[in-house]
Order: sequence, then structure tokens, then C-alpha cells
Amino acid sequence: MNITEMKELLDNKTTTSLKLFEESKKKALYSQEKINSFVTIMEDFTKEESNSLLNGIPYAIKDNFSTKNILTTASSNILKNYIPVFDSTVYKKLKKAGAVLVGKTVLDELAMGGSGLTGHTGAVKNPWDQTRISGGSSAGSAACVSEGVVPFSIGSDTGDSVRKPASFCGVVGFKPTYGRISRFGLFPFASSLDHVGIFARNVFDIAAVTDVIKGFDSNDMTTLPDEEINYTDILKENIKGKKLFYIKEIIESAKENESKEIIALFKKQIEKLKNNGIQIEEVSFDKTILETLFPVYFIISCAEATSNNSNLTGFIFGNRMPGSSPKEVMINTRTEGFSEMIKRRFVIGSYILERENQEKLFINAKRVRRMLVEKMNKLFEKYDGLILPASGLVAPKIDESKEPDKLSSEYLILENHLVIGNFGGYPSITLPMGYVKDMPVGINLTCKAQADALCLNIASHLEEIIGIKDICAGGRKDV
Amino acid sequence: MYKAVIGLEVHCELNTKTKMFSSSINEYTKDPNTNISVIDLAFPGILPLPNKEAVKKSLKLAMALNCETPSIVLFDRKNYYYADLPKGYQITQMTCPFGKNGYLEIEIDGTIKKYGIHQLHLEEDTANMEHLETESLLDYNRAGVPLVEIITDPCFNEENEVITFLENLRNIIKYCDISEASSDKGQLRVDVNISMMKDTDTVLGTRAEIKGINSFNNVKEIITYEIKRQTEILEKGEKVIQETRRWVDDKKITVSMREKVDAIDYKYYVEPNIPVVPLSKEYKESIKEEIPVLPLEREKKYISLGVLPKDAKTLVRNKEVSDFYEEALLLEVDPKDASNWITTRILGYVNNNNISFSDIYMTPLMLANMLKMISSKSISTQQAKEVCALCLEEKKTPEEIVKEKGMEQISDPESIKEIVNKVLNENPEQVNIYKNGKTNIIGFLVGQVLKASEGKANPALVSKILNEEINNR
Amino acid sequence: MLEVKKLETYAENLEFKMNAEEYSKLQKEFDILFKQVDLISQIEGIENYEPLDFPFPLKNSYLREDIANEKLTKEDALKNASEVKNNCVSVPKVVE
Repeated sequence: MNITEMKELLDNKTTTSLKLFEESKKKALYSQEKINSFVTIMEDFTKEESNSLLNGIPYAIKDNFSTKNILTTASSNILKNYIPVFDSTVYKKLKKAGAVLVGKTVLDELAMGGSGLTGHTGAVKNPWDQTRISGGSSAGSAACVSEGVVPFSIGSDTGDSVRKPASFCGVVGFKPTYGRISRFGLFPFASSLDHVGIFARNVFDIAAVTDVIKGFDSNDMTTLPDEEINYTDILKENIKGKKLFYIKEIIESAKENESKEIIALFKKQIEKLKNNGIQIEEVSFDKTILETLFPVYFIISCAEATSNNSNLTGFIFGNRMPGSSPKEVMINTRTEGFSEMIKRRFVIGSYILERENQEKLFINAKRVRRMLVEKMNKLFEKYDGLILPASGLVAPKIDESKEPDKLSSEYLILENHLVIGNFGGYPSITLPMGYVKDMPVGINLTCKAQADALCLNIASHLEEIIGIKDICAGGRKDV
Repeated sequence: MYKAVIGLEVHCELNTKTKMFSSSINEYTKDPNTNISVIDLAFPGILPLPNKEAVKKSLKLAMALNCETPSIVLFDRKNYYYADLPKGYQITQMTCPFGKNGYLEIEIDGTIKKYGIHQLHLEEDTANMEHLETESLLDYNRAGVPLVEIITDPCFNEENEVITFLENLRNIIKYCDISEASSDKGQLRVDVNISMMKDTDTVLGTRAEIKGINSFNNVKEIITYEIKRQTEILEKGEKVIQETRRWVDDKKITVSMREKVDAIDYKYYVEPNIPVVPLSKEYKESIKEEIPVLPLEREKKYISLGVLPKDAKTLVRNKEVSDFYEEALLLEVDPKDASNWITTRILGYVNNNNISFSDIYMTPLMLANMLKMISSKSISTQQAKEVCALCLEEKKTPEEIVKEKGMEQISDPESIKEIVNKVLNENPEQVNIYKNGKTNIIGFLVGQVLKASEGKANPALVSKILNEEINNR
Repeated sequence: MLEVKKLETYAENLEFKMNAEEYSKLQKEFDILFKQVDLISQIEGIENYEPLDFPFPLKNSYLREDIANEKLTKEDALKNASEVKNNCVSVPKVVE
């Protein structure tokens, strides 16, 4: 059931929010063995009264959002016993809207990673095929919506952490403009790239949730002023005359059979969209810049992450290890608390920030970021949105030991172009566009900064034309 | 001969109502962990909320110290791990400090000297640590308190110069109302960098750094000690090691803490959670207008009004005293008289009783009224001293004291004598009558004196003095 | 290739330890990073661009008014600390 359907049953008293919660909880518990999407499943039903569309609707939230009195681990051993004393703004708003929390979902440790395999409670599996990954870092949030446990969930997106797993799991994943949703209480990964994101099974639900959690927040200085608009009201507005573009070099970077198959599907959908009156043009973009998307992302995110996680010392909170001096306590706590993947990223981040390397690595990466964002902003003057396949892959196999060639154009460009959305803080949405190898694949739409309404409006039309909506794992129509 | 080259880093906690990046209370308290928020404790997910007033106050100080000020507010992170630093980084200003290339003018031995301010920036304080036998206790009340750091050029050569500079700086800080600047509460802390060089040397020697000095007295002792220590090393032909040293107060020596202070790489970078805030010309101008006339200028003004240079210095040493004096001047008192009364009587009382000037009962208006009574001769200078003392001690207005003590009657023998003689001179006939034995005529003369004093003269005194004076004739 | 010794200093400064196997993985990761960074240096004219610190300039940037309105109770503050004494977080003695 999607939000609208649940709402209807609640309104005509066919069901109650308690019943919806119990059902969700049952599904959550049942699905754990299969896909392992939760760190915590709520014991008790708690709910506030409200007139919101989300009143009584069960949902899940990524375990890197601060929830008062509810364990919040960021899927890391260092926080495995951390019980926050304050609420993140997103959680607070959902609570106030009467939404009912079912559970806290697994992520890649500290939201760093794209597989969903590195959380301290074990790997998250793809509901469509448990031998495959769900994608990450918002792994559990994507998987539990795909599995039909909850109609929507909250994630966070620093590079593609909502929009990639959405593609792998066959759900809709949206991250609005940087600052549209408060980051207060979201455990930071890379502050200048971090976004709050939403998973649901259709664009309307995405808009409904965004309407509730968006808005200026005096606890987050980077939040935008409020808009006098409900996204759910504008979804059906006519998009006649809107113009989209895709980038030739990104499409052409596909070399493997699988990615070529996905590109073929993308092109087929582009034709379909064109036939339905949407203008779409091919645009050429400097390939050398595109090839640096990943390194620029990697450099900025590792550097910021190293600093952002320096509060994890075990003194005030966290899983403190013994030691004979404060330094020893810190070393033992952090050595035990972080997995090796995290440590490697921190060392890299620390190297990047060093005085002697900063100019060449960090500052230059930020220069490329500006260069790219300026070029993108120019394109957004001419076009209403950028449309691309969200990935050149279907969800990879978990035991696939084959690491991607991290220097190939296909990897650098096709697998990483979603970071454009984070570089410029653009609203960006992934929705299902079809199937390859019986697995779902997503199409992504990115619009200019602050054009969240436009992005959702166009996405809603894409959804209608493509005709894939409200699906759960296996392609079964959600019931 | 070696000479010392000394530079200072002065940390000053601002007297804002709330902390630098959180809205928890900025107030000194002994009750640990009471003025704190989730931001001060760096719980995951918190974001910094920079304090407007702290920005304003530090800009004000930067301007008072003649610094160049930026056109934007921008913060950076300084990354390092320490038990007293909850976030694992300190938010500070590196790229765009609030002050650059300023100076402070100071009068030393009658000449005005300029001391360079290299940089002034705004940052946050760390937690307080109490060291017990086997453990250290962390109190986060101080964590996140706004802190201004003032870095001077290495422009001092001797301890007295440093102390005079620090006293002047503290004074300006108080004049600008940006801090209580109390050393006792750790609100003013000084780091001293010191090296020795020969007059013929062109480069600075290797320096030692002594951090977190709480009292100016210690600053002086430390510099004296370091000059001696480093000179001895150099004279032996040995090398001074670049290091951080610690002052051991009971032994009056410095000891090595750690070597190579420059080796730490703080990995500064722009704080991403605080969007750039522009500082308009108008805004900066409005801050500048709030800077009060500073001590040195006030001192000059007082001297021009005829105040003794020594007293002028005393008046400006404490802003409250100087403000008191300024207010009295507005009430058209004689500048010299008012200065005398403040520097001798009032400050004498404050010092003897070890109280704060702000706690005295006397107001500038009371002082002005008292001075008017003296000049109108309604009380004598001698009586005024009593009035002043009672006003301060018994918390009564001069008018109340004069009434209570009957001073509103003329009880001053000299004044009465004056009136008596005037009356005797005007009535030679009656004096003759008296001299001829009709002594009861004295009643008439007493009446005349009382009349002449408009009834204010003390009758008993009049009668006594009249008898004396008439018999002297 | 970055020497393990050098990498050890980084880990030490980050207050954690890594084992030999982890270091060798890290060396490889650095190698890939350096090759990717070469791609950045191939871009022409980057020196003409100011570093981008924020996704876009915020028009409504402001500073917080100096008004106290937040307070955390001692209980909440210390709830997650594993060692507490006299209402303070306790750590092994800091020796400077």
C-alpha cells in the first residue's frame, strides 16, 4: 500500500494506525532474516495526533538520524550503544505529523560506502535477489521500502546514497536541494555534500513526505527560506515546453554488456518520453571534467569526513575502550570502533588536508567542483532538467569479488555522475525505468538548485509515461 | 649582549549572553556541566550557530586596535585531538580573521609607542579540566565560550613593556565592554613567545613558548626567568630548543612540555556548515560608532582640562571611574576639583575597603551637588570631607547628611567670625554701649548676626564668637 | 607509493591503529587516488577558479541573536559517558 491508499483506509476506519504499525512491524521482523534492513525495530507504537497526510503512516529512518531515547548507531561499532538525547529535525517533524516509526535502518558504516555491506549488524540484501546488494549507503531504507515493509523511508545522500540504491531496489529516491531539508541531527559525512533524502514507491508519496520534512530550521544555518508551496499540489501541472537534456559522453562511456543493455533501455524510454511530447536533447560535455567527478567527490568527502568524525573519541559518548591515558582511550576506542574501510578513508582524508597536499588535492578538487557547477548552471539556464540512467549496472552480486576498474571511464563517469547533484546541491530524483536481468534499473532526473517543485512535477510525468509505479520487490504490484 | 624579542598571544573570553556556536548560557559557574547544550558536547548531528553579538564585539575590538577588518564572516576548522575539545576540531578564523595589521598606542615614560597587532580572530573555548590524582574531570561549561585571540607582532624587548601593553589592552577590552577580562576567572590568558638575539643579528633566535598564563605578574616573572635562562644557554655557546614550556609557580621556573611546536599541522579548512555572511560598510560603521573614547584620548583630554597628569592616568585606568568622571563633567563641575575628590577621597575609600568602584553609593550627581555646596560656601571643605565619607559609608545623599548633621546651619567658626566682625563694624554705637558696661546689648548683636546669615548661623556659636570678638576690641 | 611508515604517522595522528594487511590495501588505494588526481591536473585553467566551499551561495545567510534558550540537563549530558564523577566526564589523568 502506498501513502494515499493507507490514508484512505485510515479515513474510512477500515484500519487503524496501530494496526498498520503492527503489520509493518511484523513484515520488518519477518524480512530481517532475508534482507537485514533494520538495526532497530520499534517495540512499541507511539504516535502524535495531526491532520497531516502522514498521520498514522508507518515509516523507517536511516540509523544516522538522531532519535531521542532510541539507539542510533550509524551502523558503526563505535556508536553501537549510543542513545541520543535530542531529535533530528526530520524525525521531529515526522513525529509531529503523526507518522509512526517502525524502525531504524542499516547503512554503510557512517554512511561511507555504496554497497550496504559494511554496517556493523551485517550486510543488507536486495529484496529482488538476495544474492545481490541493495546499494548504499542508505541500504536498509531502500530495501525496506522495496520489500513493502513501509510505504516510505528516510535516507541521506552524500554522493548518490539515496538515488543509487533506489535504482538497485526499484523504488523512487529523491534528494531535494541542499538546504531544503534541515540536516540538524543527521550524523555528518561530508557537510558540504550531505543531503536528506526520501524513498517511496511513487512520486506523489515522495512529494507528500518532502512537504512534511522540508523547511527553514534555525538549527541549520544552511537551510533555505520557506516556500509557499505544497509539492503534492503541483505534480500534475502541465510540463508542455519543458526541455530536458542528457550528456552524450556519459551515455557513451558504457562498455560492458550489462551497461550497454541499460543504455539501450534508457534510449528506449527517451524515445517514449519524446513521443509523449517531452523535448529531450543530447548535449556534449567535456569528458576530462566528467572523468574527475569521482576523484573530486572522493577527495572532498574523505577530507570532510575525517574532520566530521573527530568527535568519535569515546569520552562523552560512544563505545569507550579502556586505556591508561586519554590518548590511549581514544586510540583503543577508535581502533576497535571503526572498520578498516573507514580507517583507510580517514587516512586519505587526513593526507588530503595536510598543509603540503591541500592545495594540490583539496583546493584543486574544490576548484573543479566550481568549474563543473558553473557549467551545469549554464546548461540549466537552457534546459529544465538533466536526464540520465542512474547507474550502468543492476545491483551487483554480493560475492562478486571482481572490483570495478576504478580508472575506467565507465566506472568514473557512468557509475559516478550522480555526484553532480551533490556538487551543485541540485534536486535529483531516481525512479524505476524498467528491468535488465530481471532486476530493476532507474532513471535519474536532476534540475537546477531550488527547483524542487519543477523536479517533482517533471518526475511525476515521467512516472506516468514510463508506467512503472508502486512496485515492490519482484516487480509484484504492491498490495 | 643579547636582547629579548617577545610576542604575545592573548586569549580573551567575551561577555556575551550565550556561547559562540550554541545558545547555551555563557556564564562562569562552579557547578559543573550546567550551562551546556548538545552543540557544546559535540553529539553527532549538531551544527554550529554563530553568535551575532560575539561577531560584533570582536569586530569592535579589532577596530579599537586599528585593525583592517574583512567584508565577510567566514570560519575555519582547526583539526586536532585533545580530551578538552569535544568536536575534535575547533571552529576559528584562519582565512578571514576579523582583524589584521593593527596596532595599539601606548604611553611609556612620556613617549607614545606603537605596538603591532598581527591578527585578531574569533574562536571558541575548550572544556575545563580538573586534574585529580589518577583522573581528569571534564566540565563543559567553558566549552564553546566565545574567545578572541589577539596575536601581537614580536615587538617587545622587555617585561615592563609587555606588562604596560597588557594593562592597556585589558583596559581597552573593558572600555569596549567586550569582556570582564578577569584573570581570576581565566577570562584573560596569555601565551608568551620569547627568543633572544644579538643586536647585530638579522634573524630572530629560536623561541620558547609558554602557554596559558593567568596573571600579568606571572607574565613578568616568566619573561624575566626566560631571558636569564636563554641568555645563559647562548652564552655557553649552546642552542635554545624550540619548544613549549610550562611555568612552575612554586619553584619560579619554566620546564619543558613538548618540543617543536610548529610541527603540528592543524589541517585548517573552511567550516562548511556556516554560510558566508556579508559585513556591510554600514554595519561596520555602526560598530565603529559604538567604540567609546579610549583611555589614551581621555587622558589627553583631562590633562587639557587642567587635571594633573598623574591623576588623569588614575582616572582612565578604570573605565568605570573614567565614566563617572565624564558624567560629573557634564554637570559642570570644576574639572580639577572633581578629579581631586575622585582620585583621593573616593578611590581612597574604594581601595581601603577593597570594594569595586561600581559598588559605591555616590553618583556623579551627588559629587556635583557636594562640590556646589562647597563653592557656595554652604559647607566648608572640612565639612565636605565628612559629607563625602558618610555618603560612601552610610549610603546617604550629601543633602541628607548636611541636614542631619545640622551643617545647613553655618557652624563653621571662620564663616561666623566673618559675619560677626561685619556686624560689629556696622554697629559701632552698640559696641560702645557694650564696652560701657551694658552687656545685655549683646542680645541685639546676636540678632543682627543671625539676620545677616539669613538665619543659618548656629546661635550658640554666634553668641560664643561674638563675646570673644567684642572683647578683643 | 607511500611508505607504510608514513601511513603509520597518519593513523597515529588520527588516534587509531591499523595492521599490515590494512596498510597494504591503503597503499593500493592511494595509488589509484594519485592516478585519478592526475586526471584533475589534466584539466586546463582550474587555477582560474575559486574553490567552491558551499554548493551555492545562500541569500538568506545570517547570524544567531545572542539569546539563551537551550539547556541540556546534567543527566542527559552524561547519560552516554561511560565514566562519570562529580557530575563530570572522567578520563584517565591528562599528563601534559
